[in-house]
Amino acid sequence: MSAGGPHLDPEGCGSNAAAYVLGALSDDESSAFRSHLESCAVCREEVAALNVVAAALPAAAPQLTAPSELKRRVMAAVHEEAARVSARPSRAPTRPAFPALRLRPALAGLTLAAVVVALAVIALAPGGSGVRVIRADVLSSRASALLRLSGGHAELSITGLAQSPPGRVYEVWLKGSGRPQPTDVLFTVTSAGDATVGVPGSLSGVSEVLVTSERRGGSRVPTRAPVIVAHLS
Amino acid sequence: MQLVRRGNAPAFEVLYDRHADAAFSLAYRICGQRALAEDVVQEACLSLWRSGARYDRDRGSVRTWLLGIVHNRAIDALRRRSVRDGGLVSDEGIAERLASPERTDVEVARSDEAREIREALEQLPGEQSRVIELAYFGGLTHVQIASMLDTPVGTVKGRMRLGLAKMRMTLGDPAKVAL
Repeated sequence: MSAGGPHLDPEGCGSNAAAYVLGALSDDESSAFRSHLESCAVCREEVAALNVVAAALPAAAPQLTAPSELKRRVMAAVHEEAARVSARPSRAPTRPAFPALRLRPALAGLTLAAVVVALAVIALAPGGSGVRVIRADVLSSRASALLRLSGGHAELSITGLAQSPPGRVYEVWLKGSGRPQPTDVLFTVTSAGDATVGVPGSLSGVSEVLVTSERRGGSRVPTRAPVIVAHLS
Repeated sequence: MQLVRRGNAPAFEVLYDRHADAAFSLAYRICGQRALAEDVVQEACLSLWRSGARYDRDRGSVRTWLLGIVHNRAIDALRRRSVRDGGLVSDEGIAERLASPERTDVEVARSDEAREIREALEQLPGEQSRVIELAYFGGLTHVQIASMLDTPVGTVKGRMRLGLAKMRMTLGDPAKVAL
C-alpha cells in the first residue's frame, strides 16, 4: 500500500476500492479516498480494475424502452436551446455584460452585498413558446446561475459555484409571499462548480427561487443567507 | 459527439436514440418509479447536451459517461426522497423496490450482452450480489448496508470486493461485453 495518503480504515486502503466504485462511500469518505488515490498506485490499479465491472452493472438492470414522451420533452428542450444559441448575435460577448446593479429591498437583509448582482430575463423563445431564461443573483462573482422556465417546469443551471464543505449540501427553496419553503432538492456541484437541478413543484405564486448551503440532509428553514436568488416576477 | 459539442441537435438525437433505453432502464431500476426515472433521465440527457465539451473520450465511452450521470442523479434523487420521507426506508422496502418495480413498462428482450452481465451477478454467492445491488442500485453506503444486514463494515466491503472481482473474472473484459 501507499506510504503517502491517509490510512482510511484498519483493513487497509485497498479495502475501500470496491465501495468507492459502487458509490457506497459517504461524501467525506469518497473525497478522502480520491485524495488517497493520488498517492497510492495500488489503489489506483484496484479502482481501475473494479471500475470496469461497475461500469457494466447498468446492463444488469431489466432493459426497458424509454417512453416516447420522454424523448419529446428532451428533444423539445434541446431544439429550443439550439435555436436560441444559433439566433444569438455573433457580436454577443462570451461573458454576458451584466446590467447595472439593481439590488432589491428584499435582499437588503441578506449578505449578498459587495458582489456582482444581476437580474435579467435574457431570452424569450421566439414564437411565444413560453421558454424564459432568468439570470439569477449570485453571491460569488465567479459563479453564475440561470433559471430556465418552460412548460411549467423550471431548471436551475449553475456554473462556478464553490463546492460544499464536508457535511454540507446546497438546498433549493421556493419563496412566495411568506417565508421560503424547502424543496427536496439537495445537491452538490462538480469539481468545476457546475450543477443542473430541476426545481420541483408548481411555481404558481412563487416569486423567488433560492439556494442556500445547509447541513447534509437539508433543513426545514434556511440557516444561511442565500448564495443564489432567482427572481421570477 | 463532436457535432453534439457544437450544439448540433440532430446529432444529439442520434445519441439519445442509442442510449435512452439503457439510461431509462438504469434510472427505473434505481428509482422504482416511472415519473422519477423520467425526470432523472431528462436531467442527465440535458446535462450531457449542455456539457458535452467536457466529455473526455480517454475516460470511457459516451454511454459510460451518460450512464454514470444517470446513476449519480438517480442515487441523489433516491437519497433526497429518503430524507424527505424521514430517513431510510426499511430493508424490506428496498428489497421490494429492487425486486419488483412498477410493472408499467413492457420489458423488452435483453441483449445477449446484458444477459451475460446479469448472469454474472446472479452467479455470485447471495451475500455478495446483495451488497453490490444494495450499493449500486439501492444507493446505500457500506455503513448503511452493514447496519441493515447486521454485519461488520469490513465484511460488507470484503463482499463487495470479492463479488466485483469474481464478476470481472467471469466476464473477462466487461467493457467489451456491456458497452
